[in-house]
Amino acid sequence: MSTSPRAGGQPTGGHRTGTPHLRRYDVIVVGAGLSGTLVAKRLGDQGWRVLVLEAGTRTLDTWPGHLDAMNTYYAASAKVPNSPYRANTAAPSPDVLDLVGLPGGGFRANGYLVQNGALPYGSDYLRANGGTVMHWLGLTPRMHPEDFAVRRTFGYGRDWPIGYADLEGHYRAAERELGVAGDAQEQSEAIGLPFPEGYVYPMHRIPRSYIDDVVAAKLDGVPVRESPDAAETTLRVVTTPHARNSVPDARYDGGRGYRPVGAAGLPNYGERCVGNASCVPICPVQAKYNPLKTQATWDSRVTLVTKAVVSRVLADGNGRALGVEYQAYDDPAAPVHTTHTAEADIVVLAAHAIENARLLLVSRLAGHSGQVGRNLMDHPVLLTWGLMRHPVGPFRGPASTSGVESFRTGPARRRRAPFRIEIANWGWSWPASSPGSDVARLLGITGDSGQPRGRGVFGEELRRALGEGIGRQFSLQFELEQEAESRNRVTVDPRHRDRLGNPRPVITYDLSDRLKRGLAAAKAVSDRIFGLLEAEDHTAYGPGPFSPGYFRFEGQDLSFNGAGHGAGTHVMGDSRDSSVVDHWQRCWDHPNLYAVGCGSMPSIGTSNPSLTMAALALRSSEQIHRELTGLHRPVTVRTGGGTGAGDLSPHVPGPAPSPAPARGPSPHSHPHQEVRP
Amino acid sequence: MAPHHTAPLSQVPSDLADRTDPADPAALSAPRAPAGPSPAVERFVEVSVRLTGFDAFDLHATGLAALYRATALDQVGPEAFERFLAELAAVGGDPGRLEGETSRDIARALAHLWYLGVWPQLARSVHTALGREKANVPFTVSPEAYTEGLVWRTFHGHPAGAKAPGFGTWSEPPPGAPPVPRPAAPGRPVAGPGKEREEETAGDAV
Repeated sequence: MSTSPRAGGQPTGGHRTGTPHLRRYDVIVVGAGLSGTLVAKRLGDQGWRVLVLEAGTRTLDTWPGHLDAMNTYYAASAKVPNSPYRANTAAPSPDVLDLVGLPGGGFRANGYLVQNGALPYGSDYLRANGGTVMHWLGLTPRMHPEDFAVRRTFGYGRDWPIGYADLEGHYRAAERELGVAGDAQEQSEAIGLPFPEGYVYPMHRIPRSYIDDVVAAKLDGVPVRESPDAAETTLRVVTTPHARNSVPDARYDGGRGYRPVGAAGLPNYGERCVGNASCVPICPVQAKYNPLKTQATWDSRVTLVTKAVVSRVLADGNGRALGVEYQAYDDPAAPVHTTHTAEADIVVLAAHAIENARLLLVSRLAGHSGQVGRNLMDHPVLLTWGLMRHPVGPFRGPASTSGVESFRTGPARRRRAPFRIEIANWGWSWPASSPGSDVARLLGITGDSGQPRGRGVFGEELRRALGEGIGRQFSLQFELEQEAESRNRVTVDPRHRDRLGNPRPVITYDLSDRLKRGLAAAKAVSDRIFGLLEAEDHTAYGPGPFSPGYFRFEGQDLSFNGAGHGAGTHVMGDSRDSSVVDHWQRCWDHPNLYAVGCGSMPSIGTSNPSLTMAALALRSSEQIHRELTGLHRPVTVRTGGGTGAGDLSPHVPGPAPSPAPARGPSPHSHPHQEVRP
Repeated sequence: MAPHHTAPLSQVPSDLADRTDPADPAALSAPRAPAGPSPAVERFVEVSVRLTGFDAFDLHATGLAALYRATALDQVGPEAFERFLAELAAVGGDPGRLEGETSRDIARALAHLWYLGVWPQLARSVHTALGREKANVPFTVSPEAYTEGLVWRTFHGHPAGAKAPGFGTWSEPPPGAPPVPRPAAPGRPVAGPGKEREEETAGDAV
């Protein structure tokens, strides 16, 4: 291993990149996505030597790399979430285009994920520096307090070992770290979220879209029933909190205010959302939070090594994690790898719910409860779409700026999955691939080139028809809560491997009947809303290549999409017999091995999960810091005691009382004990 | 948008190919006359006006006319392309009256290209009839072709991911839409339990 960073320049942060420069680290973080980046940030700031191993490339963390991703996106035929990010055969990512619906229903899964379930797991993720959050939408609703106890309260799914109150402070910390714009008072009134008195978000809420106002004018205060025998639910359009730069709120932080964080790699840029309307898959100005912004503030004790695919977590016979084995490669197009090991006192898996589970399974770790890989969840999304009576200005602003939150909570959860309704600002882009499909349709171009084509319209007629149609496009996105079910799972199968020989995830996925009832209820609510809006409903579900999520339920055609919210695969609980991690996201079976991210969540409510994931990562960072501090004070206990018996290295870990033998710029300039927050 | 004032088409590199004779290497190094687009490109734009419903100024302003013409020539070959032009001229320039399926599919493809920046898949029968040796797959001609797509302008929009209109613009009614009452954004801090809620203290975000 080299002792100095590889040539090729440093990103904007103070951290190192290239190859590991130490024999041993305090912490190894596997994955440089949202969770891993936050854990590395906190622990680096506290003086710990952190090695971050990222399977993908780091082409995105320079401004030229970002511009290359923009051009890749512009040129992509299908502008799906992963479209700006280049394919990597050494660390392949699933893609939503991998799924193809079959003519008579059912689906076929090509690509990285092997699927053998009744229904498709319809979400992708991204293995590259920054992770899947590079293409998130950026919505940051908190979970509702009742979401944490669905088993106790409503009799389904799994409960968290902690509650909203335990996480509230970390929600605020995450809202600072990600830079959230929102209206806390509105969240409190409309949804019932508890906040500390006087709390405001770092920035004022993102302005509502004209579409939001049109919908609110017709819906606010109107009671609807999702079925004739159901209780009334009052509709209300509520602004959504975003991790997107808006106008800073001078009242934030006791009047200290907030300074928006701009683009990574280009100073004084992206400090306000300018309405590019492409948050997914890429924000051109980086006004939307991404982990590269946090990485730009990483301490010099953090070393980022990309193109390092962790293939195994190493542990001794007592269950103590020793480090990881990883495969380094140079060329993502033609991977040839070399195998290395890295050692640390604590290992943190932060590689995505599915990848974390895959690594635990491959390493044969954390298996006592039998829950590793199980309880795979996502937010199945029901799309409905139609035409409004007048132009509404679609394809402007962030993808969604408001929603209807009335169906997220309450006793109806006993019989059907709850849902959150996002009012879409981007027309039929998701349900129908507009505006491309509109152009093709009017020109008579069919999806199947073997079919006869329509005559098509041209010239002014074409221009007018497109303007009149697209300008009135409207759609709703219903995000349903999926409950933890042990049958929905990730496994590995030695017969299915990727180019580096690592077993690919095998997914078994289905929707429960209560979830299907929720989808049917969502459709009923959509029908009512379209009626109130006097909109022309164009929603139609049927089998076909673009509907891999099509199914029939109680005589009704339905179809769902993935939300990109994979969760549950290393589920958190209060017993080592029934869960994989404890409430610190620490593996029950391995006291110095953490698995962080959405995979720890026992339930995911109806809120987009990234904020909750960030809050959990910040919370775990505190515990990791405490454990490292304990391990290292006094150092002689560690070296003389039995706990280090399995160490691969004679190197004395942690802050040395005297100048350290370790190489590096300043690994010991701040003794850890002095930086306790 | 007034690129004619700031960037004469004679300086647009993509236009170069049509003003130089590929058979004459000296033409590449010869001083460029400050001329407009070549007659061939002018003719292509005239046809494209009838295909798209946008005027010549708008089409030239994309900076892509020469590239689109070259793409079409490359995709269908010069013979089919000239036949398309001739058949179109024979029906008075109205693409809606084209009867030959090959020329009609070329018309579809060109309109598709202008509106989306994407050369589409041709009808399989046309692909076969043309004897094409390239894959019949759609592709975006260049990153700029996507951002210059005409479709966004049909509804007063901008291409997703480019030409951003600015913070908060999405709140305004688009042309032709009625104003709707907008509830005042509260922007209040969270009130404590049992306390009277404070009135607005700071300005709204918009």
